[in-house]
Amino acid sequence: MSSSTSVGTDEHPAVVLTGITKRFPGVVANSDVHLTVRRGEVHALCGENGAGKSTLMKILYGMQPPDEGTIEVNGEQVRFRTPSDAIKAGIGMVHQHFMLADNLTVQENVVLGAEALHGIGKKARARIIELSGRTGLNVDPGVLVEQLGVADRQRVEILKVLYRGAKVIILDEPTAVLVPQEVNELFDTVRGMQEQGYTFLFISHKLDEVRAIADSVTVIRRGTTVGSADPKTVSSRQLAEMMVGSELPSPETRESTVTDKVMLDVRGLTLKTPDGSRAILEDVDLVVRSGEVVGIAGVEGNGQTELVETIMGMRKAGSGTITLLDKDLTKLGTLGRREAGIGYIPEDRHRHGLLLTQPLWYNRILGYQTRKPTAKGIWLDTDGAKKDTERIVADFDVRTPGIDVPAAALSGGNQQKLVVGRELSGDPVLLIASHPTRGVDVGAQALIWDEIKRARAAGLAVLLISADLDELIGLSDTIKVMLRGRLVADADPSTVTPEDLGSAMTGAGSTSAAVQETAVVEEGEN
Amino acid sequence: MITTLEEKPHIPAAPRKRKVPGWAVAMLGVAGAIALLSITSMQTGFPQLTSSGTTQTAVRLALPILLAGLGGLWAERAGVVNIGLEGMMIMGTWGAAWAGYQWGPWAALVAAVVFGSLGGLLHAVATVTFGVNHIVSGVAINLLGAGLTKYLSTLIFLPLSSNPRQSPPVQSFDTFSAAGLGDWLGELEAGQLLFISDVAGILRGLVTGVSPLTMIAILLLPLSYFLLWRTRFGLRLRSVGENPHAADSLGVKVYFHKYVAVIVSGGLAGLGGAALVLNPGQLSYLEGQTGGRGYIGLAAMIFGNWRPGGLLGGAALFGYADGLQLRSGGETVLALVYGVVLLLGVIVVWQLIRRKWFSAAAAIFVAVLMYLLYISLDEIPSEFVSYAPHMVTLAVLAVASQRLRMPAADGLVYRRG
Repeated sequence: MSSSTSVGTDEHPAVVLTGITKRFPGVVANSDVHLTVRRGEVHALCGENGAGKSTLMKILYGMQPPDEGTIEVNGEQVRFRTPSDAIKAGIGMVHQHFMLADNLTVQENVVLGAEALHGIGKKARARIIELSGRTGLNVDPGVLVEQLGVADRQRVEILKVLYRGAKVIILDEPTAVLVPQEVNELFDTVRGMQEQGYTFLFISHKLDEVRAIADSVTVIRRGTTVGSADPKTVSSRQLAEMMVGSELPSPETRESTVTDKVMLDVRGLTLKTPDGSRAILEDVDLVVRSGEVVGIAGVEGNGQTELVETIMGMRKAGSGTITLLDKDLTKLGTLGRREAGIGYIPEDRHRHGLLLTQPLWYNRILGYQTRKPTAKGIWLDTDGAKKDTERIVADFDVRTPGIDVPAAALSGGNQQKLVVGRELSGDPVLLIASHPTRGVDVGAQALIWDEIKRARAAGLAVLLISADLDELIGLSDTIKVMLRGRLVADADPSTVTPEDLGSAMTGAGSTSAAVQETAVVEEGEN
Repeated sequence: MITTLEEKPHIPAAPRKRKVPGWAVAMLGVAGAIALLSITSMQTGFPQLTSSGTTQTAVRLALPILLAGLGGLWAERAGVVNIGLEGMMIMGTWGAAWAGYQWGPWAALVAAVVFGSLGGLLHAVATVTFGVNHIVSGVAINLLGAGLTKYLSTLIFLPLSSNPRQSPPVQSFDTFSAAGLGDWLGELEAGQLLFISDVAGILRGLVTGVSPLTMIAILLLPLSYFLLWRTRFGLRLRSVGENPHAADSLGVKVYFHKYVAVIVSGGLAGLGGAALVLNPGQLSYLEGQTGGRGYIGLAAMIFGNWRPGGLLGGAALFGYADGLQLRSGGETVLALVYGVVLLLGVIVVWQLIRRKWFSAAAAIFVAVLMYLLYISLDEIPSEFVSYAPHMVTLAVLAVASQRLRMPAADGLVYRRG
């Protein structure tokens, strides 16, 4: 093992990508990408969703061949046909979505595919225990993976990569699934391993994290590398501008349209994990008024998703009441709640928003199967659905060859415009927008923002959840900060900065006057 | 702020949930079952419940179910639902008869495995390569197996046996018995001592009239366990059934392992068919001979929670229910109802200890119902008796399905990329 702990400039770089181009039918995912990763550094690759980061990493990990360009590892040009080739060259990948079999043990997951190294028995076990320390994994290799938490699963993924002898480790959005303390632990692990000579390629669009962990940053935009930066001197704002180009659209809304009329009133909402051991939501009180956008800020995994799904009736609350326009929704199912006037833009349009294989007009019916114009009595009204889909396509600028194409044929932005158009149909009184512009292009983002602003001006109440703090600050009339299942602070969007909000979200507390901690008794957590 | 992590080989204290090893649980289960039968036979006055004859029949009838269940285990551990076991079993019966009447029982076994494997290969081509829904393909194979063997029987067996539904007689295996041990156990069994006679009866049934096929089937069980859980090949095969994407990302050949698993599955089902044909009672192919045993094998595997040990328990249970009704008829099956009441009594106590009030109440309700059935009838109607194994299947699955864990990617079509 190389004992070099310094960032070596005299040696060959660990990885050099030159002129990588990858085309898919109709799209160029990567064009002329250049990337140099020095040995022993943490190199961040930044870019928006859909900028081509994942494709690039798949190419480097041998999952897809590049159409043009070369890959060099330790100064030697290589050509990967499968991930096994990349693994042999010392490159390992920790996927964003874990590649683990829940019903197998940690040991089985780690040795799978690499049985030739140490077998599958005692020797393998000893080696896993030896490597566990480096990743901070502190469980018996005989434990089933399903018994592990998210952070430990990620360590198992890193362990898998180490077990195969990787020296260059690709971490694909590793913090997306972690809570703040776990992020810090992960960063400690990464720094510790960096000292031992490992090289990391850290993929993220979270600029604060990038600046915290990386030694150098390469920014990728629309499939091509647009530049490098030194994370110690560059600001998040500068990085963001590199990521999206100069044309940063603004989500700003200034004149307040907030009225006194309470639309959504949530009181004492509590939700427990299915086994009842831990609270996901604790005593959440929330009021959204007509013409008001209430933004929920929080690091992913702190209960925002569950809050939305509980309000929508997709999860059953342990206790608490949900009232919409003086109508008690607590006992209603999801359809009943939608009929009562809730529009819902789900955070994952593929899982909850659309049937990808079905035509657009069919998707128009989803959630409106009991209402005009998509239903007449007990029958579906396909003509009405088609006509109304034409309207949405025209009004919301959905770029599509027609309403009979399957939803999968549309780009992410156009799919999202269709969802937004559908959810703003049928006169909702409350719109729940979960990450409404996640993974969409800038044009679609601007349109979605405009539509939300227009509906708000018309008196719609909006509950907005977003990881994009600029979006949250720009659109919201009120911001609430969610941490570990509780609303812990209020922020005034006219004065708060993303930095203040960020530190409130991580529970670090804020000195800014714009963020006021709500009276919450914190237990003796560190 | 840099934290240094040293390599510290430590064995952390793992929270092990299971304190009692699996084999001990199994032994306790077996002892409990024998005790239950023993008490039932004493209370109701039916020594047939634990006689060596019943056991011997039960073993014979459990074999096809065990083999079909093993077939199901292989396929489903690799993530392919094999509802086509029945069809593969039918093909096995025909193959066994066709080879058996010409070249003897060993040839029958080989032919049965080959025919069953062909069915498995077809299932693999359909489900793995072409991504056909597993149930659709399985049902198609069941129909195909029945239709194809009917055609082949008419073509080949009709001129020989002048019956399109039956093959010429097949030569059987020589059977072995542990003579001295058997006699001694026979004396014990005749002694009518509580529990001891029952154990002796069951053991005597197990060591009398054992055919090579029985030994092969019994050996295939630990062999399957060893292959699937203790080898690299088995780990890869199971990973394919749990998360094929993960397996693929680690260089495991997903399609290859699925193919192997489904073909082996078909071969085992075919062997189960051979066990039916080489059954000392009839010794020939009969149309409709399998009588749904492929499905019961699948049920035994589900009952066994996709594990070989549990599968053996399931097969033994169904074989026993079948053997009992065949040997002794409606009265003894009714005695079994009494045994179920006793079992439910134990369950009620257990659920009360665990403070599961609803489960306890449900068990009490069913127990009362069964008891009323027991005292109001003299014997189970004969029309009903032959369905005893199917009823047991239904009841057991209804109760057991609550806490089963199937392979996570079972039944899902996998596409690369």
